[in-house]
Amino acid sequence: MGGVRLLDWLGTVAERAEIDWDAVYREELPRIYNFFRYRFGNRSSAEDLTSVTFEKAWRARHRYRQERAAVSTWLLAIARNVAVDHLRQLRPEIPLDEAEAGARDDETPETAALRTSQHRRLWSLLAALPAREQELLSLKYGAGATNRAIANLTGLSESNVGTILHRTVIALRASWHEGEAR
Amino acid sequence: MNDDPLSELREEPRPEFAASLARRLRELDEHERAHPHGERLRVRLVPPLLAAGLVAALALAFTLPPVRAAAREFLELFRVKRFAAVPVDPERLARLQEGKVDFKALVSEQVEWIEPAQEPEVVDGPEEAAARTGVALRQPTVLPEEAALAEVRVGSPGRFRVRLDVAKLESLAQTLGVEDVAVPPAWDGATIEVAGAPVVAMRYHRGEDDFMFFQSPGPQVQLPPGVDLAQLGAFALRMAGMSAEEARAFARTIDWGSTLLVPIPAEGGNFREVDVNGAKGLLVTSIQKSKPGPDGKSGRSRRHSVLLWSAPGKVFALAGPGDGVLVLEMAQSVR
Repeated sequence: MGGVRLLDWLGTVAERAEIDWDAVYREELPRIYNFFRYRFGNRSSAEDLTSVTFEKAWRARHRYRQERAAVSTWLLAIARNVAVDHLRQLRPEIPLDEAEAGARDDETPETAALRTSQHRRLWSLLAALPAREQELLSLKYGAGATNRAIANLTGLSESNVGTILHRTVIALRASWHEGEAR
Repeated sequence: MNDDPLSELREEPRPEFAASLARRLRELDEHERAHPHGERLRVRLVPPLLAAGLVAALALAFTLPPVRAAAREFLELFRVKRFAAVPVDPERLARLQEGKVDFKALVSEQVEWIEPAQEPEVVDGPEEAAARTGVALRQPTVLPEEAALAEVRVGSPGRFRVRLDVAKLESLAQTLGVEDVAVPPAWDGATIEVAGAPVVAMRYHRGEDDFMFFQSPGPQVQLPPGVDLAQLGAFALRMAGMSAEEARAFARTIDWGSTLLVPIPAEGGNFREVDVNGAKGLLVTSIQKSKPGPDGKSGRSRRHSVLLWSAPGKVFALAGPGDGVLVLEMAQSVR
């Protein structure tokens, strides 16, 4: 029974339905990891911050409310807070990852080197973006969030999210071509 | 450059990292299983405010009923006569726990226990419960089909004093993002005494169902003079997540001298006022999903209801499955 306290019992009725958290972990790990990967460019930071996010979520998972937000959105909200804390500690340094080397099975060493070089350039272009644009791109391309989910997370309107992302990609493209022209 | 290179930066986490983190999360699970009591207090939406050290928070934020009579030479006495539901934003509770403020320290340092809380204890039956608590027990005379009394327990929430600390209340408001609420300096140091009366809990069982019937003489709260307690009530409503306008409107509808505010997690269920033998009761209904069976499949969703009502000198709660019909029928038969 354990709940002689009246309101304790009342709280019981509001407990959430069961969720397969192991499945949540499997499905959401790459999204959260890539959110941090895009946000900070550094693999080691991405792993550390992903760990912090999941440990926080694991401890708080009984408070998660399905009817309020999708579990992916809930996790991304925690991840955003973790990112903010991380930025407070690290700013202004945003290190780039040094480890991009290694050819995939389907490419030659030359192709791998070209890919690595292009990725490196792209990482540096991303790192040079304003914080808001970095975050939106991390949510969109790193975490694979929809514009609507991003809007819910950031408080921006959905159309505003779309507009900012569109402009950012255009700006990135311009910077990319500008670099090639040099 | 098109969008594709942006997507190409995505990569799978290293398997070693994924496995290591999964292991860490399993350790958290094991820790939770090893300390179930502490975790359960954390996992529920309302009970975090009821954990031993946090009982004061409940008194402060929800249970404490301000009265309109502001200054009296002697302490005011509060007795529950009716209940009012206060929708609580669960995100606020989460922010308390995840924020920088140590909520436990914020409140518990202000609490002085006069009598410790007594954990629920099984007794032989209603007669022993009545003898041990001094509560003149009432029981439902109508039970759901095939239901029978299975267990009786007694417990007590204890007695404690809470000393208000303006700086900490301001910190609490700040943590919750309530910027436009002023905490009167006169509250600083005011002491409130809360005496939780003994509670008797009876469990009626049938098949997979349990119906829980609680009764208690109800809490007594001694309120200090010189404090504008209507303001304190409005403060509590703001902390619960109401806007300033909502809190003012809600406060006008409350008889602060006799109403126990019941926190209902927003979207956690629906609630309505019902008549129980001439008294106004509060019926809260929510949807619960049964735990997965041995095959690992999730159980079906079921409605669950809790009914709170009072009679002179006593408060009752009855909880059970369904949308409230069975619970209400039982409640109306309580003699």
